[in-house]
Amino acid sequence: MAQVAELLQYVATGLLVGGVYALMSIGLALIFGVMRVVNFAQGDFMMLGMYLTYFYALSGIDPLLGAVLTIPPFFVLGWVVHRGLLARVTGGGDPQRQMDAQLILTLGLSLVITNAATMILTPTPRGIRTAYATQAFAAGPILLNQARSYAFVMALILAAAVYVFLTRTDAGRALRAAADDPEAASYQGIDVRAMHGLAFGTGIALVAAAGGLLATYYPIEPSVAGNFIVLMFVAVVLGGLGSIPGAFVGGLVIGLVQSLTLLVLPFQLQNTGVFIVFLLVLYLRPQGLFGRRARAV
Amino acid sequence: MTRTMPRTLALTLALFVAATVLFPPPPAPAADDVKIALVAPLSGRWARQGQLKKMGADMAIEEINSQGGIKALGGAKIVLREADAGDSVEKAVSAAQRVLTREKISAGIGSWLSSFTLGVTEVAERLQVPWLTLSYADSITERGFKYTFQTSPVSSVQAEQALELVTDLAKKNNRPIKKAAIVGDNTAATVFFFKPLREKLLAAKGIELVVDEVWTPPLPDATAIVQRIRAAQPDIVFYGATNFPDSIQVLQKVKEFGVKSPIQGVGAWLVTPEYVKALGKEMLDSIQTVVATHPMKGQEEFVKKFTQRTGEPFMTQDPLCTYGHVWLIKEAIEQAKSTDPKAIRDALAKIDLSSGPAATSFYPNRIKFDERGRRIGATPLIVQWQGGEPFTVVPTAVATRPVAWHK
Repeated sequence: MAQVAELLQYVATGLLVGGVYALMSIGLALIFGVMRVVNFAQGDFMMLGMYLTYFYALSGIDPLLGAVLTIPPFFVLGWVVHRGLLARVTGGGDPQRQMDAQLILTLGLSLVITNAATMILTPTPRGIRTAYATQAFAAGPILLNQARSYAFVMALILAAAVYVFLTRTDAGRALRAAADDPEAASYQGIDVRAMHGLAFGTGIALVAAAGGLLATYYPIEPSVAGNFIVLMFVAVVLGGLGSIPGAFVGGLVIGLVQSLTLLVLPFQLQNTGVFIVFLLVLYLRPQGLFGRRARAV
Repeated sequence: MTRTMPRTLALTLALFVAATVLFPPPPAPAADDVKIALVAPLSGRWARQGQLKKMGADMAIEEINSQGGIKALGGAKIVLREADAGDSVEKAVSAAQRVLTREKISAGIGSWLSSFTLGVTEVAERLQVPWLTLSYADSITERGFKYTFQTSPVSSVQAEQALELVTDLAKKNNRPIKKAAIVGDNTAATVFFFKPLREKLLAAKGIELVVDEVWTPPLPDATAIVQRIRAAQPDIVFYGATNFPDSIQVLQKVKEFGVKSPIQGVGAWLVTPEYVKALGKEMLDSIQTVVATHPMKGQEEFVKKFTQRTGEPFMTQDPLCTYGHVWLIKEAIEQAKSTDPKAIRDALAKIDLSSGPAATSFYPNRIKFDERGRRIGATPLIVQWQGGEPFTVVPTAVATRPVAWHK
């Protein structure tokens, strides 16, 4: 019985950690899916989202609300970054065009944001002190950290909202059309460039919100992106490049695997489990869990 | 595209102009200035420690220069050349390479994390520049290097002495230590601290090791680790989480799970001001850590000067050590009467100081190095959080507060 409880605790912990990974990853998947842009700066926008939530918290706004309030400004920021920088190098969604330029651009953007944050906000780590970061809900023998539970529920709600937006609204359908076939979409009167702006803005807003949720229990520093960016990419590829549900499941899987790995491997090899699963998925299902075969050339 | 190019160009130029105005390059030193290097993490996850080190170096340089510079060299001023060690050994090594080859550097200091120092001192050794470090790892001074000087007690000595001190404290408080836990990351200083504990020291004292968990930073979640501590209920937790987010996650979990075992840290990373902001002072109370140095009795005025100048709430090992290092280099140059790195190295190897700002920055107040470059008699201090501030509590001769054992 004690062993079952322990296993359940590991599963619960893994899912709670994975929920926030999932929200981080769907923004990245959306951007890749629609624009074919690999955004290396995604983690840095997350870091900025954490800082904004921190400053909201200083002015008395609860960080869970603050995380949601990061969405509008970061949508605008994402849109501006797309219009001002990315639109010049993405070549209208054609994956064969100017790939190098966009990789260099997003990588450069990442370096500029990290170092500007180090200069302006100083490297001193900051943290939002919330009562729920150090309290747990008890479900029988299983303890669920309150901050992580709230973050998990919020991540689910936001992910569901994105899903509804993509499948039930005209703008969402236009976005998917622009992703599937930019040329045909533009013949149908869809402004592909505007759709790219929408996708990038939404992707950035989502990762900023994920950052805000993370900030309820995780310290904030300019270099925080480095702790998460690789996992985000793994989640996106695991789920199937560009697939939103895939990235969400990918994020959850990573959290679960990280946690369950500890049952068999020492802590030092915690991420080894993630990469073993990653390699297995790539080997057995190269298109990822939710990817479409059609894309494989 | 072509139409927008000039605009982009203009914008880039404007940015450059703004950058040069906002962040001007350091003023060119006069010909006879003495240049010393500080290679420390100024970006990445350990940037805060680099920032603290720089505060100490700046304070010492300002004092030395305002008191007439280096007298043996006709009042030559000291100039600091800092290089960013970043967040990896490779970056640290290339930073050292860059700063030491670009111009003549008389001596260097760095690089906080033992893993970085191991790489950086190889560069210094090759280029024959004397190097002072506060890093703890034993291996730093086990390679037969001639240019490396370690002012801190090495990790294995710290482990031995810390264990001695805490078992003694526990016994005095009628809570003898029977079970211990080892929890921390796998950076060099922590590894060297844990190794002797695990291999012989705990067993020699009849203490059972009940939890032994080491991770690679960053730690995704601390639940499993703290769960194991809670299940085993050790009488002491030896704790080494140098990466701030990892440490915060562990300590938050300790509170969440109601773990009562006393925490004995390994290093000065556990007593930085940001812990108070992230966790609150009540949570930190009575957590203690073993450090290479910390402000001691009699340094109150000096600490006040530091806090006034930097806005930091208190002073810790990193600025204090670097302050002492700059003063030590100054003393060595006075004795060498030269800016030549080799002459300064020889002076450092022979130096024997027991007063002045360099000596009082370390415990005991004497600086003399053995043939390996280790400071003879270097003894760690125990620092304890009390009411949101870390105080030296052991040894009692230099303690600024009496120790409070865990309730």
